[in-house]
Amino acid sequence: MKPLNEITIAEARKLLDEGVATSKELTQACLTQIQSLDGALHAFLEVYADDALAAADQSDQRRTDGNVLSKLDGIPVAIKDNMLLQGKACTAGSKILQGHIAAYNSTAVRKLMEAGAVILGRTNMDEFAMGSSTEHSAYGPTKHPRDPERVPGGSSGGSAVAVAANMCLGALGSDTGGSIRQPASMCGIFGLKPTYGRVSRYGLMAMASSLDQIGPMTKCVEDAAIILDTIQGQDPSDQTTSDTEPFRISKLESRSSNDLKGLKIGLPKQAWQAGGIESRVLENTKAALAELEKAGAEMVEIDLPYADEALAVYYILMPCEVSANLARFDGMRYGLRKQGLPLFETYAQSRAEGFGDEVMRRILLGTFALSSGYIDAYYVCAKKVQALIRQAYERAFNEVDLIVTPTCPATAFRLGEKLNDPLAMYLEDVFTVSVNVAGVPAISMPCQEDGGMPVGLQLIGKWFDEATVLSAAKVLESELAKQ
Amino acid sequence: MKLSKEEIAHLAKLARLDLPEEKLEKITKDFGSILEYVGRIQKVDIQGIEPFTMPAKSEGWRPDEAFEVDEATRELILANFPERAGDLLAAPGVFETPKK
Repeated sequence: MKPLNEITIAEARKLLDEGVATSKELTQACLTQIQSLDGALHAFLEVYADDALAAADQSDQRRTDGNVLSKLDGIPVAIKDNMLLQGKACTAGSKILQGHIAAYNSTAVRKLMEAGAVILGRTNMDEFAMGSSTEHSAYGPTKHPRDPERVPGGSSGGSAVAVAANMCLGALGSDTGGSIRQPASMCGIFGLKPTYGRVSRYGLMAMASSLDQIGPMTKCVEDAAIILDTIQGQDPSDQTTSDTEPFRISKLESRSSNDLKGLKIGLPKQAWQAGGIESRVLENTKAALAELEKAGAEMVEIDLPYADEALAVYYILMPCEVSANLARFDGMRYGLRKQGLPLFETYAQSRAEGFGDEVMRRILLGTFALSSGYIDAYYVCAKKVQALIRQAYERAFNEVDLIVTPTCPATAFRLGEKLNDPLAMYLEDVFTVSVNVAGVPAISMPCQEDGGMPVGLQLIGKWFDEATVLSAAKVLESELAKQ
Repeated sequence: MKLSKEEIAHLAKLARLDLPEEKLEKITKDFGSILEYVGRIQKVDIQGIEPFTMPAKSEGWRPDEAFEVDEATRELILANFPERAGDLLAAPGVFETPKK
């Protein structure tokens, strides 16, 4: 039997139900792994060992009493440091919130706890989720579990490493332009960005409110489905959550294990023929495509225009929303305040000291793109191109059921490699951002495991059609496991 | 589109960021390549296209009602104040220059 921290949520559920393992043993196995590895990897900003063990005891008691709450009852998971958990520090990886204690629970974390999940701790991230490497955390970078000289991707790099290095059974990340999928790809795990409006953003520290979405980061497709099933749903505290039919795990189970007949997959030529894709990424993702085809899927080349423009649209809309959302950090009601200064200086010095350079760069970019004289050429123009990008997805999905691309153009890069070139860092997101701009769901899943740096394949679905995304991913997962 | 260091300094003032010279210079340089990249959207034909707006999911406005929180929650909110005067939030005066 595998060590308890290395198994999936689905496997752990089985062991718990059969009485072979307890939540306390699962939790202790994860805590031991954190203790031995996290000094080197720095995936966690804080570990709640005592609370986690107490929650595990309660879960074990419930199981003894025959009152298991859900599939997640007793499962140790990690959350990203931008999701509020009442009474615990929450900093979004920023110095401006050092010592800030969450006053209430985010909906997604509350739902995890109501399902009986054990929260192990909060994970490292790029400051306010701005970055693709977790190097922009004010608390130091997270390292790649296979090579500590490399980045794990970002911004949910801490959650990705916690899952990949078996320090938890699953984790939550947040994705504004790829922040779940890109680190999942680089660390060789599964990361799902749900449809915008599927999961409540209440209690998630806002980066770009019209693009942010919380989602699962896991070791297998089924685990992602279990977590999505738990955290999804309309929320009166987030008016952008949708009343659409919820995702049901039963839909995932209804497709037979190796059959993709009748599924039409679109391969956008703008992605597959784009220059600059690393050869290792091309080889591994194309091998995965061949497996999808063998399983019966029909592959067609499609035209998905505005691929480059989507990144430009994103790097206008996102900073605009950032500049508005981060205006709340003014040193008045919470966060860092420089004392003994006149009002203007209190604002300006508190912010300049509390925010990192990347955050300030994006605030200024947004301030520019929204300023009088430029707003039409930048913000309004970007909102119009966004409409065209959504139309392009609508047209594509009239022809196909899924769209598939590599998740990232390259594998994990070296620490510091892109730190002084913000545009190079932004180009990391070239395949992931258009999904957020359109609001559709997408998963990144690992291609064939060969011991090298992991490569991710991205499966993009129609609005609110996580079921097709996850069921195709599940078939591919089992085909790849056979090799 | 290129911005001068003076224009960046003006944006920093609008955004309430007190930045030293060297950071202004670095950001001015970064802005050059970023604005050149994002400027490509201005070449897209957007004649007759309406800006995208998120379809409203909710039924209009909800009543503006205060809701009660328990004492522990209230204390957490108060404890996050950078400066307190009893249960009140202390803030710098708007019209005065404080004594150092």
